[in-house]
Amino acid sequence: MAAGIKDKVAIIGMGCTRFGERWDKGADGLMVEAFTEALADAGIESARIGAAWVGNALDDINVGNSALPAAHALRLDRVPVTRVENMCATGTEALRGAAYAVASGAVDIALAVGVEKLKDTGYAGLPLRTKGVQNDLWMPYGSAPGTFAQLAGAYAARHNIDSSDLKRAMAHVSWKSHQNGAKSPKAHLRKAIDIEKILSAPLIADPLGLFDCCGVSDGAAAAIVTTPEIARELGIDNPVTIKAVQLSASNGNEMQYGDWDGSSVPNTQAAAQRAYAEAGISDPKADIDVTEVHDCFSITELVIMEDLGLSDAGRAPADILDGRYDADGDIPCQLDGGLKCFGHPVGASGLRMAYEVYNQLLERAGDRQRANVELGLTHNLGGAPFNSVAAVAILGRKD
Amino acid sequence: MGTWIKSIGGYLPYLRLDRKVAARELAWTGLSMPGKGLRAVASWDEDPLTLAAEASRTLIGKAPPAAVRFASTSAYFTDRSQAAMMIDALAFPRSTRSADAANSRRAATTALLDALLASSGEVIAAADKREVQPGNPSQLAFGDGAAAVRTGQAGCAELVGYASLTHDFIDRYASQEHPTSYAYEERFVRDTAVGEILLPTIKAACDMAGVTPEDIAHVALAEPASGCWAACARALQSNAPNHCATVTENAGDLGAAHPLYGFGLALAAAQPGEMVLLVGFGSGADAMVFRVDEEVPGASTMVQALGKGQRLTNISRFLSLTGGIDIDWGMRAEFNQKAQATVLERIGRDTIGFIGGRDSQGNVQFPKSDIPVNPSLHTPETLEDVRLADESAQIVSITADRLNFTPDPPFDFGLVQFTNGARVLMEMVDRPVTGFEVGQDVRMHLRIKSKNSSLGFRTYFWKAAPLDRPALGDA
Repeated sequence: MAAGIKDKVAIIGMGCTRFGERWDKGADGLMVEAFTEALADAGIESARIGAAWVGNALDDINVGNSALPAAHALRLDRVPVTRVENMCATGTEALRGAAYAVASGAVDIALAVGVEKLKDTGYAGLPLRTKGVQNDLWMPYGSAPGTFAQLAGAYAARHNIDSSDLKRAMAHVSWKSHQNGAKSPKAHLRKAIDIEKILSAPLIADPLGLFDCCGVSDGAAAAIVTTPEIARELGIDNPVTIKAVQLSASNGNEMQYGDWDGSSVPNTQAAAQRAYAEAGISDPKADIDVTEVHDCFSITELVIMEDLGLSDAGRAPADILDGRYDADGDIPCQLDGGLKCFGHPVGASGLRMAYEVYNQLLERAGDRQRANVELGLTHNLGGAPFNSVAAVAILGRKD
Repeated sequence: MGTWIKSIGGYLPYLRLDRKVAARELAWTGLSMPGKGLRAVASWDEDPLTLAAEASRTLIGKAPPAAVRFASTSAYFTDRSQAAMMIDALAFPRSTRSADAANSRRAATTALLDALLASSGEVIAAADKREVQPGNPSQLAFGDGAAAVRTGQAGCAELVGYASLTHDFIDRYASQEHPTSYAYEERFVRDTAVGEILLPTIKAACDMAGVTPEDIAHVALAEPASGCWAACARALQSNAPNHCATVTENAGDLGAAHPLYGFGLALAAAQPGEMVLLVGFGSGADAMVFRVDEEVPGASTMVQALGKGQRLTNISRFLSLTGGIDIDWGMRAEFNQKAQATVLERIGRDTIGFIGGRDSQGNVQFPKSDIPVNPSLHTPETLEDVRLADESAQIVSITADRLNFTPDPPFDFGLVQFTNGARVLMEMVDRPVTGFEVGQDVRMHLRIKSKNSSLGFRTYFWKAAPLDRPALGDA
């Protein structure tokens, strides 16, 4: 395996808008909001940005295609700006681009910014779009909850778990995120709700009810990255560093070949294993202190816990119900409310996850702060369980 | 050289409207409409092409037919051959001749007679899903369905006599400006049809066959009005049952497919040596007399199909499926797919025929790709065609999606694993009352994949349905 970028890249500033129904701002304004906070956090002027990676997934309802509208909005002065898109993993993809540029030595200080303006689509959920003129001839037009709901039946079948028991564990996932979201000032949904309300909600895609599904939001998040050496020159002696950032993409096997039973997301497993190796982590259950994972749906988070190796196979429902991933549990998950409650502006979510872990590492998380956070993990998942892009990043302090 | 029926097939949609429920719902109007029996109701993603393709599936045989003839009064495309599309859907070679017959309920019997006289071995498929208007008796009297026949130079039932009569008699009509059926007074229709058209045609066919009407054991006569066969039978001194009446009662008047579906029931009931009379009506009549020598493959399945399906008792759902109401499905329904002719030329045959590919190590996949999905192969190769439409398969994962737009919610879809190794993400149709399950056996059916109403275009692909249907029962 390649040497990787462990501790070669420092995050010196981050910003994140309030997520939600941001009727007041367009995608350009949201980017400016996140970027301005990140610049202030880093203590630098925008002229120091040597290159930028801009992530948004749905160009037709955002600033438009290419990187140019973002370069305009942020008034970046003729530096290289690249637009990236990798479905819901876009935010981490932007961070990966910026981090690799710094690690390679090509750029001293780079910007990663992710944005999405979903509330300009008019849709209650994600908008419906073509899958390409060739795929349109045969591929079903399932919704996002429709694709992820299929994890549930397959998981129950594989582990011989009663569907009502699984549903209760899924409800706990959402309950926990609502509890956390209530303490998260920038979250979209800030109301704690009880388990029975979650269980009795109307079905969106069997067996996912309304509260098994994450919020669809507007928002932006940004990170400014540089080398640890430059960070020190800027007065940041012990910066947050990237321990690992890895991505895995389906090659079609889950959809077209093999014995995958639909109960897991193989790309999460692959990205996690590579990230652990890059970060030098041999026991993630012991070493990872906090996680922000891609809980687009409650069943997704449940399965992710096993795919990341934090729960043993078939044990995630029990671990969840035991409170292992609650705010006061062994490995808290979604301390900021996660996609479920902080919200899910697609292109921004990966960077929003990093924002929470970054703040936890710097002990700036307010009411949500956990003690002694040394390593945090983000997991960002795009597509569907049977055709996905999974990104795993691990952040820590260099010293 | 004789001309024969080799096999026959039929297809009825899954849903059957209970007419008495509908009649009760519309009783306040005071309008007269059928109140007994069932009406076969096509799904939103079925049209005459898909119905006909389903009816023809059992007729594919080992060798392709010389021609496919498609007959319908409600075919979707008016300048695109449905017969040509059927040839691709059934994966027949492009050397198969194609012909489309339309503009008369008699189109199917005319096509059948022409095929029998050509004596070349053909598939004749008929289907209708006619537009209806609430309040008009045809809304409940009509049904959606299909039937198909394979002819040959040898077979199970031989054509021994025939006659045709052309008469521009307007019992009912539909036109571009009046696409729903406009019917004239029933007694006028019955008296004129029987006296001027049916009796002379039937007698001529019997004369040619060298039999008397009393020799006919079973009849399949598509009646333009109820009581036509009873009047004919009195005049002909025949006691033979009209099997088309059974179709009318249990599925509805199937339009162009009606005489052929009734023919299937008549063949199923006939004993070796018995005579069967087939009569198609519309702007005249075709009458054919067959001597049944042995059981005709497919006929008994058509009898069974009448008794299987799911009762439809929700009137607004029925109205939505038959175009009686135009539901505002919200923003998600605004999305239109635009199919490109260039793409259809490249992979259209593989999608409508459900043709996957087998790689050099034997693995089957859909769709084909230059570099196979098989992880042990890494370079481009040419895959061998493998038709998946008739392969056994099971559900790997499934959901009932209530967010995604479909004209008949919920939208069931998931991964399907074929026994030959192929794995495809598919839509599910003919939803059981209890829904679909992981591990469930499924069978493939040709359906409409997408409709683009603004461009007047449809695409077609295969969807998975349970292997069998439940009995309709008496409820």
